[in-house]
Amino acid sequence: MENEYTILGERMKRTDSLAKVTGAATFTADIKLPRMLSAKVLRSPHAHARILNIDTGRAEKLPGVKAVVTAADAHGVKWGVFKYTQDHPMLAMDKVRYIGEDVAGVAAVDEETALRALDLITVEYEPLPAVFNPDDAMAEGAPLIHEEYANNINIHVHIDVGDVDAAFNQAHLVREDTFEAAGEAYSTLEPYAVVASYANGFLDLWMPNAGPHVRAKALSNMLKMPLNKVRVRHINVGGHFGARSEVSPGDLVAALLSIKTGRPVKLALTREENAACTRQIHDIKATIKTGVKKDGTITAKDFRVTYDGGAYSSTGPIATSIPYYVYEEAYRFPNVRYNGYRVITNKGIRGMYGAHGRAFLCGNEVQLDMIAQELGMDPMEIRLKNGLKVGEETATKSVIISGGLEAPIRQAAEKARWAKKRIGLPEGEGIGMGCVAIMCGFPMGFRSGSTCYVKINDDGQATIVSGIVDTGMGNESMAVQIASEVLGIPPEDINLVNADTEVTNLDPGAYSQAASFVGGNAVKRACEEAKRQILTLAAAKMDHAMEDLTIKDRTIVSRTDPSKRMPLRWVVREAFFKGEPIAATGAYMPKISFDREWIKNPQGQMAGTYSFGCSIAEVTVDRETGKICIPRFTAAHDCGNPINTMAVEGQIEGSIQQAGVAVLTEENRWSDGWLLNPDLLEYKVPLACDMPEIDTVIVRSNDPEGPFGAKEGGLTTRMNAYSAVACAAHSALGVPLKQLPLTPDRVLKALDKAKGGDA
Amino acid sequence: MMERYNVSLKVNGELVALNVRAGETLLESLRERLELTGAKEGCGLGACGSCTVLLNGLPTRSCIVMTAELDGAEVQSIEGLADGTDLDPLQERFMEKGAVQCGFCTSGMIMTAKGLLNRNPKADKGDIIRTMSSNLCRCTGYKKIVEAVEAVSSMSEPENK
Repeated sequence: MENEYTILGERMKRTDSLAKVTGAATFTADIKLPRMLSAKVLRSPHAHARILNIDTGRAEKLPGVKAVVTAADAHGVKWGVFKYTQDHPMLAMDKVRYIGEDVAGVAAVDEETALRALDLITVEYEPLPAVFNPDDAMAEGAPLIHEEYANNINIHVHIDVGDVDAAFNQAHLVREDTFEAAGEAYSTLEPYAVVASYANGFLDLWMPNAGPHVRAKALSNMLKMPLNKVRVRHINVGGHFGARSEVSPGDLVAALLSIKTGRPVKLALTREENAACTRQIHDIKATIKTGVKKDGTITAKDFRVTYDGGAYSSTGPIATSIPYYVYEEAYRFPNVRYNGYRVITNKGIRGMYGAHGRAFLCGNEVQLDMIAQELGMDPMEIRLKNGLKVGEETATKSVIISGGLEAPIRQAAEKARWAKKRIGLPEGEGIGMGCVAIMCGFPMGFRSGSTCYVKINDDGQATIVSGIVDTGMGNESMAVQIASEVLGIPPEDINLVNADTEVTNLDPGAYSQAASFVGGNAVKRACEEAKRQILTLAAAKMDHAMEDLTIKDRTIVSRTDPSKRMPLRWVVREAFFKGEPIAATGAYMPKISFDREWIKNPQGQMAGTYSFGCSIAEVTVDRETGKICIPRFTAAHDCGNPINTMAVEGQIEGSIQQAGVAVLTEENRWSDGWLLNPDLLEYKVPLACDMPEIDTVIVRSNDPEGPFGAKEGGLTTRMNAYSAVACAAHSALGVPLKQLPLTPDRVLKALDKAKGGDA
Repeated sequence: MMERYNVSLKVNGELVALNVRAGETLLESLRERLELTGAKEGCGLGACGSCTVLLNGLPTRSCIVMTAELDGAEVQSIEGLADGTDLDPLQERFMEKGAVQCGFCTSGMIMTAKGLLNRNPKADKGDIIRTMSSNLCRCTGYKKIVEAVEAVSSMSEPENK
């Protein structure tokens, strides 16, 4: 029997928020251990150079310096997410490939001494010719940055479905446009930091990470240590957005220094180091060709997308694929060809991003508006016509089991009063719509599933142990809220232990929007099994049918006769007496195709389910200054069913900032491999005063697989908010804006170009 | 060696005597000497506001203030905001309104808001947005942060609600 939810969906105060509002929450840089040393990293001043010699002798002799490490202290193991992308030594071996690359690490009694020691390390370099953008890198005769990547092409993702050329021949209308976007900075408020502590053969580590198990595994490989001697421990994480996905050079440096000294070592990067030397976001150029029928039905798509990958592979195959997938998950493409190239350049490494792919996604949506305009269609109608529905397959054969694009489009349009506003917009005002759908998890082999253990303690309180990782979005609180609903005890009765490799089991981590759908399901299953054990025992004790019993407010109670009740703790204590304490395991593995491979076999079920979203932006554009403002923004996101309504709203609102408003301001600017704006003054993260009035619409599709019908909680907005803004600016100006971000200079240039008649 | 200075400060109501390096920032003194790590270093140049504390009642970026210059000053950090387990209304509303996500900016946000409400207990939405625009948050889109501060501001003047 289905009961009304007690706490599920409520605007529950996040369980982690008390520690955060009192300043008690510990982040990595806050950790202080006895005898802890300070570490600093010597970085490459060259974009591309051969290392001839490294002399650390003088640095080692400086009083207060306890250890210096270089590649000679590492084990020559290169990092890569995939076997075929292992190209990053983390401490430069024979060559440096970008300005800021890690060359040596120093541990000293304090930071000042460590910094002084860096000056005493002599590195002899032989500078090599360098390349700074994909076009130059792929050109004939360009310097080869890695021997193994011909023409500096790191990854080529090729997808070909149907007969694209035939479909173009038969199309009523074909458009081809090229869009470009500068890469962004993650700008996590917490700069990267790591603490490593080696003692008695065991290495303990703390760092902002999105998956402790994959981090420990990578380090165990690189350090040639058994996995059970490497423990990544729980810590608060000051923002993620993709930045915390992979093992970092700092992890290796701190670990080597701690092993060498036998003392704890802390390495905390400065903001500038964080921006210039850790992974950031790809510059992207997307050429998009679309064919449609007279009624707006898309018949063919042909994409050629280049990603400036920087010096190493990072999440290469994934980053080269995701923008395409989140688009084919939204729309029906009977014939489609995608050629994605990730190209190595002598710039900092580029990784995955929550708002990845804006050139591709904005480009597609702006072009769709241009096509709608030529066909005399409402942009909403052309999206509804082509949007995927439940039961349909994506072009690469993923089945949609819940949601579909129609509900978020209609609900966003209604909330924003789309139909009314679109007609007769005043001069300089525009309204635009952007859509996308997102996979909730993607294949990560045996790590695609999650496990949860629960034990019920003698006072009837619970401890749940889950692999779920919280990098700021509220996943920990989400796990507690689910457990509270199932177990019938308030959240304050539940302690969560999570994200610690020694204690928790595998979990996909906070990478692929899997936390609520996969991790949440494991928590739910574990708690349901514990509840079954409790009710079995209670039924015998109360001499009452088990099916009629449930747990509410710490009490076993009959569903039909509320006078029949027994405190939960009595049952739990009885279980201890019997030598069968209440303890349960729950696991969930999503129904995905494990034959799928990003390059070799890009087809089959990508994820257990998909979320759908539609954003609508309203903009004003000043034709004199080129300045765009966003007075209003509406975002509809189908999260299946919200576990914490307030947390889902928070994800959507943050996404509007990080994608929607950011598309006006955010870009990494470069000069010959030097990042020009590595700080938070010159890199423009939107402020409170830049934000629009926001309406969030939570769309419910009650997913058949998700825990309580839930899917991921807000990422569609992060991948369609920029499209809504770009489409709105196009609607205001009547001129397509093909260069992102939409800074005033780019807007004025587009207007000038249009006046010149060659747009 | 670098010159050192003796400085007396009142931090969260307690007198502390410090012997500091010339270039030591207030943020370093709080975090490293006094083990008050609630104020965070986000940028080190006064841009992000994660290190905000009240210095003689005014919101101040502790990462760009030298402790050596602060003899006799009064400092309030996030750790000194609650009265024992009795939270400040701002702390309560930040939790209730969902204004906290990763939490790295939260101390600075709350201290900035505290400074505003100390100066102007009736701050309206415009005042709040203007003031809170001095601090960066990467997670929330600011909406719930503004709502949390608004809730406290109107609480202090219930007739304006």
